[in-house]
Amino acid sequence: MSDITTTELVAESPLSEAWAVFRRSGLALFGLGLLLLIIIVSVVGPFIYVVDPFDIIWAPFTEPGVEAIVPLGTDQLGRDILAGLIYGGNATLLVGVSAALITVIIGISIGAMAGFYGGLADNILMRVTEFFQVLPPLLFAMVLVTLFSPSLPIVAIAIGVVSWPATARLARAEFIRIRNLEYVNAARSIGSKNSRIIWRVILPNALPPLIVSSTLSVGIAILFEAGLSFLGLSDPNVMSWGLMIGSGREYILDAWWVVTLPGAMIFLTVLSVSLVGDGLNDAFNPKLRER
Amino acid sequence: MKFAKYLLAASLLASTVITGGVAVAQKAGGTVVIGTTQKPRHLNPAVQSGIATAVPGTQIFATPIRFDDKWNPQPYLAESWKTSPDGKSITLNMRKNATFHDGKPITSADVAFSVQTVKDNHPFKTMFAPVTSVETPDAHTAIINFSSPHPAALLAMSSALLPIIPKHVYGDGQDAKKHPANSKPVGSGPYMLEEFKPGEHVILKKNPNYFIKDRPLLDRIIIKNYKDVTSMVLAVDKGEIDMLPFLTGTRNLARLKKNADLTVTNEGYAAVGPLNWLAFNTTNKYFKDKRVRQAIAYAIDRKFIVNALHSGFSKTATGPVVLGSPYGAPDVEAYDLDLDKAKALLDVAGFKADGDGMRFKVELDFIPAFAEMQKTVAEYIKPQLKKVGIIVSLRSSPDFPSWAKRVGGHEFEMSMDIVFNWGDPVIGVHRTYICSNIKKGVIWSNTQSYCNKDVDALLASAGAELDQAKRVDLYQKAQAIIVDEAPQVFLNELPYHTVYSNKIGNAPTSIWGAMAPMDNVFLK
Repeated sequence: MSDITTTELVAESPLSEAWAVFRRSGLALFGLGLLLLIIIVSVVGPFIYVVDPFDIIWAPFTEPGVEAIVPLGTDQLGRDILAGLIYGGNATLLVGVSAALITVIIGISIGAMAGFYGGLADNILMRVTEFFQVLPPLLFAMVLVTLFSPSLPIVAIAIGVVSWPATARLARAEFIRIRNLEYVNAARSIGSKNSRIIWRVILPNALPPLIVSSTLSVGIAILFEAGLSFLGLSDPNVMSWGLMIGSGREYILDAWWVVTLPGAMIFLTVLSVSLVGDGLNDAFNPKLRER
Repeated sequence: MKFAKYLLAASLLASTVITGGVAVAQKAGGTVVIGTTQKPRHLNPAVQSGIATAVPGTQIFATPIRFDDKWNPQPYLAESWKTSPDGKSITLNMRKNATFHDGKPITSADVAFSVQTVKDNHPFKTMFAPVTSVETPDAHTAIINFSSPHPAALLAMSSALLPIIPKHVYGDGQDAKKHPANSKPVGSGPYMLEEFKPGEHVILKKNPNYFIKDRPLLDRIIIKNYKDVTSMVLAVDKGEIDMLPFLTGTRNLARLKKNADLTVTNEGYAAVGPLNWLAFNTTNKYFKDKRVRQAIAYAIDRKFIVNALHSGFSKTATGPVVLGSPYGAPDVEAYDLDLDKAKALLDVAGFKADGDGMRFKVELDFIPAFAEMQKTVAEYIKPQLKKVGIIVSLRSSPDFPSWAKRVGGHEFEMSMDIVFNWGDPVIGVHRTYICSNIKKGVIWSNTQSYCNKDVDALLASAGAELDQAKRVDLYQKAQAIIVDEAPQVFLNELPYHTVYSNKIGNAPTSIWGAMAPMDNVFLK
């Protein structure tokens, strides 16, 4: 890549510039490709591979690669593992993304208020944040899921509710850093309303680290979902990777593929999300950009 | 010369086989460590049911009668007993040499006190409900009077069900359920309490003044609590503990069976009679029709459950009484898998299939424990019933109390459930069928809300029938009706197994298994 191209891209838009940095990293590109592949398979797969993942279609504990009809084998009941992986990916990604969205919405709102207004508001909001932060997240999520019935939306909400404090702290730090910069003072001096300053002036400039952290929180949410399912606290009527591991774990010594395959999917997904997150971090970090 | 070597080897082998066949002399001494994940709250089985209290409780306390492995009553604290011709009283002639662990003699007053305490406090109300009075004509004779003949009484006087507790300790006016001596029990059984650390262990030591001569054989029994089954199974596999009663995990059983130093047996659970079933709420708009319930019974392949899900370790259940009991009913409708019949029954019941072949949607609950028996079977039932057009959605409960609240409160459509026979049908079976036991809020009552006057009448007369053959006949008739009307689908008997080290002689295999005195257990 020549310097001239880079300069030209910079002139066009900061996003294209970030993309240029992003694609310089092979690992980030690999993560992005993997993630896209997983998303496409989970979203499009159910329309192509039409097998109910709950149906018993073959003998239990069929090994992968033995029967053409169940290429990845069957679990303890004789359910198709491949169908489970495809349909389960759908639910797992859905929970991961919606939980991350909840995290971001709560986290940024609270962090922005605290960072922007400071003083008493900051004090109160940060004490609330600390309250949530000191609770062990998995236990807290278990309590929430237990209180309501374990269904997919509840699981997503529970994960979102327990993981927003980190995002809030990050947002607060960014807002404190930016709120006294010259362009914010300029906006203030021309009489902009606080809400406009928060959402239109500061937030776009605080976004880069927040985008990185929310990308990573998708991965964390997927792990959380798997953890809750493993403990038997997920919707038993929706196939997810965590559910597959949770119900197959007792058979790991007899049939490795029942838990290993969904486990590998979780691993690959979280890995790809993390790689993308790292790539984004590099891309948005101005110091690295100058290197 | 090679031949001679073979000959030598063969004769050596033969001689070991022969000596192996000779009974090993019963040696005294030694310590047996028993592993369990069940933690007792206290050690007094007079006011507490359950395995956790029963295993140590039956070592500490003695009962009037005990049972062998063929359902025959044997003398224990009572030297002999006699049922009156009308069946309305049982006279117990108590041993004269028996003393409590504190040295005080056991008298008929203690028997009367124990019967009253159990009647007032034990959760199994039917055991002594017919008792009107206990007469004590002399210090060693107790006559228990019943309002009606009560053939279940003998079983109710064995195992952990009627521990003879000392009146001079427990009769001080305190609430028996919260009595401090429940954690420092004074009994008369083969072992006495040395140390009770709740959640960690119960250490029992030999009772030197036990009323049976030269017994018990062991110096100590340690009942060690484990937090999870896996570490407990590893411990027995490595030889760190000697015995694991009440093990159900079929994967673990298969693994332990490969260990040549261990014996894995399913003997010793005949009286427990643990059943795994699918229960219907018969007030539900779909399940009030018996044809729907039968259809579901026909749609479930119990052979698959036993062979594929439980690796052949469990047994198919046929009806409300387990087949190991003399009152089991082997000849009732077996509901062999028949999807066409199931569909036809649903059609006749008026639940026609829609365009997608679906008829209606129901929720299925399950106990959040014993996954192999409950959750896994529920996961199997879901796609299986879809084949006949019933959409099942599983409803998981976060913990046992939440499940018990839903099912006990009749807030369910259908649920997996595990219910024990507890020896006599009067104790463990009547409760889930008789109309008068439809009690909202009580788990393991008649939560199915099943009510049939004929069944009520048959069970009532069977419960008071003294003639064994007639009693068996009455129970079989009642079960034929129950199985036909299918308030539950009887799936399988729990694969309870005892795993014990081959060092142990006379492992507990009577009908009550480890819930019976282990006074003749020894170390080879």
